Amino acid sequence: MTDDVQAPPAPSTEPRHLAAGDVGIVRPRDFAHPGPFTFKSGQTIQGFTLRYETYGALSATRDNAVLICHALSGDHHCAGWHSESDGKPGWWNNLIGPGKAVDTRRFFVICINVLGGCQGSTGPSSTDPATGRPYRIRFPFVTIRDMVNAQKLLLDSLGITELHAVMGGSMGGMTAMMFAMEYPHFTRRQVIMASTANESAQAIAFNEVGRQAIMQDPAWNQGEYPRDGGPRVGLGIARMMAHITYLSDAGMDRKFGRRKRGSAGGEAYTFDAQFEVESYLLHQGQSFINRFDANSYLYITKAIDQFDPARAAGSLELAFAPVQAESLVVGFASDWLFPPEQNRAIALALLRAGKRASYAELATDLGHDSFLLESDELYALVRGFLERGEAYAFDFTI
Amino acid sequence: MSRLVEKRTVDMQVIGEWVEPQSRVLDLGCGRGELMGYLVQAKQVSAIGVDLDFGRISACVRRGLSAYQGDMTEFMRAFPSGHFDRIICSRTVHELNEPAGVILEALRAGNKLTVGFVNHGFWKNRIGALLRGRKVRNAVYTTRWHESRPTNPLTIADFEDFCREKSIRIVRRAHLLGDWRTPCPALPNLFAGYALYDLARA
Repeated sequence: MTDDVQAPPAPSTEPRHLAAGDVGIVRPRDFAHPGPFTFKSGQTIQGFTLRYETYGALSATRDNAVLICHALSGDHHCAGWHSESDGKPGWWNNLIGPGKAVDTRRFFVICINVLGGCQGSTGPSSTDPATGRPYRIRFPFVTIRDMVNAQKLLLDSLGITELHAVMGGSMGGMTAMMFAMEYPHFTRRQVIMASTANESAQAIAFNEVGRQAIMQDPAWNQGEYPRDGGPRVGLGIARMMAHITYLSDAGMDRKFGRRKRGSAGGEAYTFDAQFEVESYLLHQGQSFINRFDANSYLYITKAIDQFDPARAAGSLELAFAPVQAESLVVGFASDWLFPPEQNRAIALALLRAGKRASYAELATDLGHDSFLLESDELYALVRGFLERGEAYAFDFTI
Repeated sequence: MSRLVEKRTVDMQVIGEWVEPQSRVLDLGCGRGELMGYLVQAKQVSAIGVDLDFGRISACVRRGLSAYQGDMTEFMRAFPSGHFDRIICSRTVHELNEPAGVILEALRAGNKLTVGFVNHGFWKNRIGALLRGRKVRNAVYTTRWHESRPTNPLTIADFEDFCREKSIRIVRRAHLLGDWRTPCPALPNLFAGYALYDLARA
């Protein structure tokens, strides 16, 4: 997921965090699970922490919770601002807030940094209480199911009895699917965007190049690197390459074209970044290494690559057999990483399994990251799906 | 209700009678889900609609229905034979690129296929075309040629010929006069304004 699909907010005299429809200043919280936690691999850790944020209020009946699931490089901060001087809001701020498509006046919205992550939740960079040293690559292999099981413990601790909905894009869509499969009676609705029930060889290949960039950087050192060091070159390259897969040819052409940077001479014979797209990607790589742990990147991309419920169950229909949730799957025409066909396949398998599922597709040129798009059409679809349920009053307007 | 609105409900009345309660129904060209919504309420069917337009899918979702955005033939191919109890093709058949292919695929994926269409052999249409020498326009097809989508108008005789040729079994038919309400007593290709067929594999 990229950081900058949304245009910067228009200049205004009003402080941005006080803008209408924004949840305002938000604070992350930590959930500590004290007991042992066993991963799908059979490995166990002695307790874990998950960092999360919530917006809105849990209803008296505790049934208005909407769980937002983040993508590979995302985190628990999906709406609002961390301070008045915060440079930018949470990653799905355009979708979530009072009066927005995911209406925080109506829903209790929760977003949790995944297990294995590096934004406050327990992962490879966390300290192993058994040794007093960071886990690094001794951290158990994480799967999407492990992430979901850990998040369920957090939701239980909040007293949530069922999810009104679980939703996410990309890896977040996998997480949503896993919730609906693992906790069918807990999950009433799922929204899956720009996702897949099993990655293509091409998507696995891109992840593997990213992992190799990290692991072949000498500074990776079998995962043993200091907190402020590590394979910065490798992680930066992994991010630059992955970033291309989140965009589309047409979208990049519209955004950068062949434009050159102001300072770069037209005929300069140099290997320095000349084109805007070059300096943009370099900037993306650099800003990523300051906020993301290379070992976490290895773990989470592996979890994404391994996600294949059809293989585990025999077929996708069998995997979806326990699902009770109503499903909405959204594909994006220009997404070539998790293309529309793979999103259609999810909806069709749900339907073949006799479930209630809808599929909609938006024509945008933003590629995989289209799910972060500012689109009134997308907002109306999501809102319509989340807020439906009341008996529909018939009208015959054409 | 205006006359046009009244005509829109004809499918609901007739198809509503034909549809078995609690059956699994697929609506090809579901639009904004009017017919599906009615069948869900009146017959407690489990329904899914297919349409090409995002806004129509979104409208279906908003009213609590399931809908799939995409090509109807490709959609049906994704299901085993007889998956649907009934497939409905209401006022869509004249807009299909390959009507025979869609109908035959629907008779594979569904146990029954209901087709409803405006009869272009209706006497008013014939006379209108003959006397005015212009594209047929009526309460349903209100637009002039240059405001219209490409359509492939058909008559009751055309449709019956097709069913005979493909050995498709006609389980039931409903021919309605120009008011789309009164049953047509005779010479349907001339006197029926609207036709509904319930089809099955031979």
